[in-house]
Amino acid sequence: MTGQAFFVLTALADGPRHGYGIVSEVADLSQGRVKLKIGSLYGVLERLAAEGLIEPDRDEAHDGRLRRYYRLTRDGRRALAAEAELRAATARVVRARLRLASTQAAG
Amino acid sequence: MSGDLEWRYRRVLRLLPGWYRAQWEEDMVAAFLDSWLTGDPAADDDISNVAGPGWAEVASVAGLAVRLHLGGAGTPRRCAWGQALRRAVLAVLLVHAVLAVDVLVFLVWSRRLVGWLPAPPGSLVVAPAGAWAAVYYLAGAAWIAIFVSLALGHYRTARVLAALAVVPGLVALLQAQLTGIMPAPFGSWVFWVLVDLVPVLAMSAFRGDAPPAASGRWLLALPAGYVLVYGPLLALQATGRSAWLPDFPGLCCILVSLACLAHSPRAWSRQAAGTGLWSLTLVLLAAAAGAYRIVTLTSYLNDPHLISVSLAELLIMVAAVALVAPDAARAQTATPAPPPYPRAMAA
Repeated sequence: MTGQAFFVLTALADGPRHGYGIVSEVADLSQGRVKLKIGSLYGVLERLAAEGLIEPDRDEAHDGRLRRYYRLTRDGRRALAAEAELRAATARVVRARLRLASTQAAG
Repeated sequence: MSGDLEWRYRRVLRLLPGWYRAQWEEDMVAAFLDSWLTGDPAADDDISNVAGPGWAEVASVAGLAVRLHLGGAGTPRRCAWGQALRRAVLAVLLVHAVLAVDVLVFLVWSRRLVGWLPAPPGSLVVAPAGAWAAVYYLAGAAWIAIFVSLALGHYRTARVLAALAVVPGLVALLQAQLTGIMPAPFGSWVFWVLVDLVPVLAMSAFRGDAPPAASGRWLLALPAGYVLVYGPLLALQATGRSAWLPDFPGLCCILVSLACLAHSPRAWSRQAAGTGLWSLTLVLLAAAAGAYRIVTLTSYLNDPHLISVSLAELLIMVAAVALVAPDAARAQTATPAPPPYPRAMAA
């Protein structure tokens, strides 16, 4: 799973969001490191929809325009949980190795 | 009021295929306007008059458009063209890799690095001119790694290596152009654009979610291609019949013609299924080889004999391609489309 897809799925984990809502949430989640452009966002959304990981939730009118909200599917929630576990396990290994290296350097 | 801003963004979205816009355009426009507008009519009016999609935004839409156009998504026709394009790129990279193998074999042979090999004939020994030429030849060997990476599905590695591999050729061309030592200026630039740059750009059609274009069997084509192409060429050169050798555009035309002839029985057979993509691939390769042959004719304007030979190569290739063209046309409707969107998305 790409970093962008991971962030988009994470942005939808606590409820449905519309396109720009996802962009803002991803920027917050990544502390400003990931700034999705609209073309990139919809490339990711299209792939995630084709893989059955997200689906449309509802359309809402706002300032004369329709905002489409997206939500995670059950498969999307499962894929996100698996990816989060994988990343957490990788982070644990990295931290353990860094601690070991620090200990060896100090000794 | 969002009129001007919206109009500018919709103009950028025209880069995307129509089927994609039908499903996603309104949503993209809404998200884009949300990213600009504040809800205050006066402020929004000012923003709409002066703002527009920036370069990064246009680049993101252009990247998506390239992926959708070349990636073979959407209709069966696009799917067929996407798959044929990927195979054509692989074929051009195979040519690059065979050329690189030839350079390496020749270096080993001419420098007598394998003791039991006899010395090459004097007519074949051409020492590289200086350190830059050696760097150029060695960088050329990177095409072997690019071809192997692409055939094995390591697309990102192949793209990065390819982006680096086109640079020495460009530098050499610029150097030759600026110092006035280029023997055939037009042909050399056309070679670089058609054989180096365009295939590298077209490598963006290789994506993880596109159907795989190659299998490990493509790797066998590298030694086979070297033996089948360079065996006869070296034999002609070593026996002093260099005059019979075609130039590189001519060789491309001959190879495409032979491939069309070899493929035509399958293309005409009603039992053989799935041949159309190969026919379409050969049509693409013939178009590239034909364009290369035509533009390099300018090098022979003072030699009617070479002009005649070049035109004959071209005509033979056109006749050979005509044998597979009907099958290529059928492929555009017979290739299965990728999985459709979930129904809810299309609603």
